[in-house]
Amino acid sequence: MLLSVLILIPMMMAIAVGLLPLNPTQIKTLALWVSGVLFGLTLVLMAKFDPSIAGLQFVENLPWISELGLDYRLGVDGLSLPLLVLNGLLTLIAVYITDPAVMRPKFYYAMIFLLNSGVVGAFLAHNLLLFFLFYELELIPLYLLISIWGGARRGYAGTKFLIYTAISGILVLAGFLGLTWLSGSTSFDYNPLLSQGLPMGSQLLLLGAIVVGFGIKIPLFPFHTWLPDAHVEASTPISVLLAGVLLKLGTYGLLRFGLELFPEAWVVAAPWFASWAVVSVLFGALAAIAQTDMKKMVAYSSIGHMGFVLLAAAAATPVAMVGALFQMIAHGLISGLLFVLVGLVYKKTGTRDITVLRGLLNPERGLPIVGSLMVLAVMASAGMPGMVGFISEFLIFRGSFAAYPTQTLLCLVGTGLTAVYFLLLVNRTFFGRLPEQFYDLPVVTWGERFPGFALAILIVVLGLNPNWLSRWTEVTTIGLVQDSAIVIQQQNDLRETAFVIDALP
Amino acid sequence: MPTTSATSNAPHPFEAILQRLSQGDGLLPESEINLLEVMGILESYGHVINDYQINLRYIADQQFLVLFPFYKYMNGDVSFKRLLKHWQHDRINYEFSEYCMKAMMYHGGGGMDAYLDTPEFIELANRAIAAKTKNNPLIQGFNKISSEFLLEQVRQMCYYRALGQFWNIMADMFLALADRYHRGEIKEIRDVIHHVKDGLVSAAADPIYYSVEINGETYDLIPKSVGLTFLVDTAIPYVEAVFFRSLPFMGILSYNAQAQQLPAEQGEFIYGALYADPIPAGSAGVPPSLLARDLVRYMPEYLMAYYRTFSRGESDLSVKSIVSFQKSMFCVTSAAILGLAPHPFDSADAKAQAENRKHFEAWVDRLINSRSRLEIVQTG
Repeated sequence: MLLSVLILIPMMMAIAVGLLPLNPTQIKTLALWVSGVLFGLTLVLMAKFDPSIAGLQFVENLPWISELGLDYRLGVDGLSLPLLVLNGLLTLIAVYITDPAVMRPKFYYAMIFLLNSGVVGAFLAHNLLLFFLFYELELIPLYLLISIWGGARRGYAGTKFLIYTAISGILVLAGFLGLTWLSGSTSFDYNPLLSQGLPMGSQLLLLGAIVVGFGIKIPLFPFHTWLPDAHVEASTPISVLLAGVLLKLGTYGLLRFGLELFPEAWVVAAPWFASWAVVSVLFGALAAIAQTDMKKMVAYSSIGHMGFVLLAAAAATPVAMVGALFQMIAHGLISGLLFVLVGLVYKKTGTRDITVLRGLLNPERGLPIVGSLMVLAVMASAGMPGMVGFISEFLIFRGSFAAYPTQTLLCLVGTGLTAVYFLLLVNRTFFGRLPEQFYDLPVVTWGERFPGFALAILIVVLGLNPNWLSRWTEVTTIGLVQDSAIVIQQQNDLRETAFVIDALP
Repeated sequence: MPTTSATSNAPHPFEAILQRLSQGDGLLPESEINLLEVMGILESYGHVINDYQINLRYIADQQFLVLFPFYKYMNGDVSFKRLLKHWQHDRINYEFSEYCMKAMMYHGGGGMDAYLDTPEFIELANRAIAAKTKNNPLIQGFNKISSEFLLEQVRQMCYYRALGQFWNIMADMFLALADRYHRGEIKEIRDVIHHVKDGLVSAAADPIYYSVEINGETYDLIPKSVGLTFLVDTAIPYVEAVFFRSLPFMGILSYNAQAQQLPAEQGEFIYGALYADPIPAGSAGVPPSLLARDLVRYMPEYLMAYYRTFSRGESDLSVKSIVSFQKSMFCVTSAAILGLAPHPFDSADAKAQAENRKHFEAWVDRLINSRSRLEIVQTG
């Protein structure tokens, strides 16, 4: 019942916020409390979760429209649990950093809660149609949040987002329908065995549709072009949610519905996916270097960093899979922090242009604490040891190298490029002399700094003690590959490799 | 660089400033805010340099040729309580006064610089060195190998003492000014300038001297008979070194080589208090200046109340205090310019006025350049 509560509370709040006779301050307070309670509930879920079990827990199963094969089937495992907690945390932060004077607050918070409900539902759904419904449900509020509360080109960015992600939904749906019909199943219940009787050609076709569908959401090159526009035009809280949680629906879908539903086809396509990951990683990094808008730079960095997840998924070794989940969480925290900080810089200076900004680390008249947190965030993003970004990238590269050494090495170049563009950002924006036009920047209050500190602490703590994250997810993610044919295939390959090495003089 | 030659027919680009100097006013425009800032900061500065001069004279007198002067900032109080305060940085930044002292020593000028190279001084210094190192054969041997080392240390001690004496007089002058301000006698910037000018003039001939006691015996290093005086031998070299060329504001003014801010000519390399950028460049390890922190320590409430009304309140006091300090130093410079003018500013004689004008133009041209703060304080 706890899982349904996590979906229903925000859904009911989306309605209640619109109906209750509250002023904007009261609405924000209520939204804060409710999102706090939701985050607390995810922590309760975490406390009750048994990390030693690989399969689903807290399963809820209600027949719904059985004629269509649509059942209300929810469950949580080590793959979805950390993402649920991340979603709870980032929603709380997004509500917290929302401008108290946001226009049309009732509608705004209703959309935030609807989005939350859709995301939670998607992470919990274990029926393909039910997942699709939630996957599409989050599309509507996010489109409105960009199109109504966005920047000058919000209409363009919102529509582009809508078109791209609608196509993503169509492709995913096509994949689900195809899998169910071709396998002769009468139910859309999540079943990893469904694809096993299908010819390889069909499997590859269906997997292709699903991977491209989620590739748009992640996003991977060349389906990425909606993301920089959406980020630039979205307000800071929405950017935090977009980068921190929404993109994870794509990577989550890739693992859950790509790798797990099509294990045989995945083995065939994996080398191509690894190469695709390289292109995405390098493109994201090189495009980020060319940016002058801080937000766009962070957006392109997301494209690069999400490519690491595809590499890990392609390698599909136990270590790489743990790394993939780590990368999702790490990116959620780091990009959340980066967007919070970029938002603060924009709020105080009125610009995100790194050709204009200078010397913001100035201890007297600049934004020294924001700048210090930014240095920490970019170090974390570049995979500096001691922070969660290092753990995820190390696990991915360590886990992927045996399977795809060339692609892994090229992705390592992408990590190096992360340091390049973020050092450019920090150097141009925060170091040097504060220009005269920024002599009287408003003070950043401790309240404004708080979300940044919270995220920074998590980034460091999970970097120093990764076991606090991996213990929840390790069994599931390793089980994800152990149950599939991939592991058998790769173990055979590795055994052969070991045999060859042993046979050498 | 907006300079002009004195013979040019075109009006001087800073004619308004020249006009003010000709009428006995200062480089800083009259305004209530300017007066409040200048008075508040000079009151604080009076207390700060009083602390500085006590320490400089303590070092000169009590730490003479102590080669490892670990406790030189303690003024003789080496109690655990004092050490705790020191380690917590609850203290005056005496390092700043040493920067100023070193700046004077490096840039030289005045009679003292010349005197310290005379055989007379070297003899006196060697006598003091011999007395101090009488029971220390190691240092005696070292002094034989490197005879200039201890001698240079003694020269430095002379600058400690001279700057201490200079600031002793200046501290009294500024604190007296503050008393007059509180009594309502100082009503405009002009009053400040003339108080300082009168103070400089009245102390001009005060002797600068230095003797040190070693093993119960007094050793003269700068005897009064040498004739070094306050104005010519400390005040003017101090202004030249600290206001125009020194490095006491380390970290405040940053020359950026990449931006081609380094002057081609060494002589154009300005780094003094009158040019210091109040906004610190960079971040880590950059003090808005040690002086600024000391000024804040003694900040009078009326100035603090004004600072609270704009920008970041009490969070950027270092910047605000340096801006005010520069305004006040332009007043001190004005007093020096007026005091050194060849003729009284109110002279009716046309020739005297022309000579004064030439004198004023030379100073203003010197103060106006691409990094000048003089232009900024005209409106800021």
